[in-house]
Amino acid sequence: MDMQFTDVGGVTKAVLGGRLDSFSVGEVETRFVANIVPKEQPAVVDLSDVSFIASLGIRMLIGTARALQRSNARFAMFGANDAVMEIIETTSLTEIIPVVGTEAEALAVVTA
Amino acid sequence: MSEAEHTRVVTVARELDLVPGDRLHCLELIDCVDSGRRHVVGPLGLKIGRTAPADIVLLDSEVSRAHCMVTLNGDELAVSDLGSTNGTYVNGVRVEGSVPLPVGAVLQIGKRSLQHEYRTRTEITESDELDRELQKASAYIHALLPPPSREGPVRCDWIHVPCARLGGDAFGYGQLGEDLFVAYLIDVAGHGASAAMLAVAVMSQLRQRTLPDTDMRSPAEVLTTLNRLYQMEDQADLYFTMWYSVYHARYRRLRYASAGHHPALLVPPDRSQAIPVGNRNVIIGAMPGVKFKEETVDVPPGSSIYVFSDGVFEIVDKSGEQWSLADFERLVLEPPVADMGETQRLFHGVREAAVPGPLEDDFSLVVAQFD
Repeated sequence: MDMQFTDVGGVTKAVLGGRLDSFSVGEVETRFVANIVPKEQPAVVDLSDVSFIASLGIRMLIGTARALQRSNARFAMFGANDAVMEIIETTSLTEIIPVVGTEAEALAVVTA
Repeated sequence: MSEAEHTRVVTVARELDLVPGDRLHCLELIDCVDSGRRHVVGPLGLKIGRTAPADIVLLDSEVSRAHCMVTLNGDELAVSDLGSTNGTYVNGVRVEGSVPLPVGAVLQIGKRSLQHEYRTRTEITESDELDRELQKASAYIHALLPPPSREGPVRCDWIHVPCARLGGDAFGYGQLGEDLFVAYLIDVAGHGASAAMLAVAVMSQLRQRTLPDTDMRSPAEVLTTLNRLYQMEDQADLYFTMWYSVYHARYRRLRYASAGHHPALLVPPDRSQAIPVGNRNVIIGAMPGVKFKEETVDVPPGSSIYVFSDGVFEIVDKSGEQWSLADFERLVLEPPVADMGETQRLFHGVREAAVPGPLEDDFSLVVAQFD
């Protein structure tokens, strides 16, 4: 699983790529959380190049969103393809984390 | 699991004259069937195949009689394919000639997987003790699962194959009152001891019907209460998805609710379609204060319903494609196989479709057939 972080005007942007399956979550979870939560600022995640999210991946995303929430910082995701969106909708993840189409929309959601 | 899928050990270990602290190269089965079974690689190496005189006999139809050879070269292992039909793989890469088998690498042969471990005798002893404890825990979880029911208005069968020694899936069913029949499935994110402990805690409450101030006949109430009791922060950041239903036999009506869980599939006797039976509610434990919703569906006579964990269909097939629920639906609608139960048919169908090696997630499937 590929993972990159940048700062976009006070918003942490994470770009994920590949399969967020049980194996890769174990490898990336600590780094993912460590690059987002301690900054206590809004964060967006680019899912454009993610091909699959397993339940442990969902847990990583929910855990990060809830940790940021405790710092009053928002968290959103964008760019999910149809297959990943089906997983997100089945788990009703959108009830917990806003999932939008574009980066601009995601930035607008977390900075509103 | 059929006998034909088991491993027969011809040579478990070649006893070596070692001083304490010396390490042994071992091949340890990591798939669901004989997980933890260990084979020590000695100076003569180990031949793996489907029949004797192989040192490790894997009774798997995808394993050739003489499949591959693992040799000890100095202090390193190497593996070579012996002209097998289906190939030998190291970490997913097909073996051509002789290739190294590094410590930690996974050797895939047919449906079976063995991992190269490099252990001292002390570590092996400790690992064996832990394995025995895990086996007891696994047996305990299996003891909590209901026996197949072959009488009454709803008859159930199931298969439960954890991908690790302990899984995070649990399920149950049974009479809830006159004409009422309850069935549910829980899927804790992840697997291993922590996931299994949470699954057992939830299953025990449902079995004993001890949810406080909750009408167990109402799927929405049950999920709402569980969400109140099992928030992630209080459960070591674990959450679970769930499908819960209550069937009223007199009215042939099923009340159901899903919590972050994919739908069950209702299949009429002519197997013409698989009707999704599920609704959208959040995952249990992910958000406090949620009111869950439920729905109903009429059940035609002779129908079956398939309730399952996501490990049943979230596989990567042999062409490298990620399966979705639609792929499993197609498998469900295929005709029954003579002399094979429906749960076994589907398990073997998924195993046949998946890439070699252990399934990535727990495989739990309950099939209920209505009068």
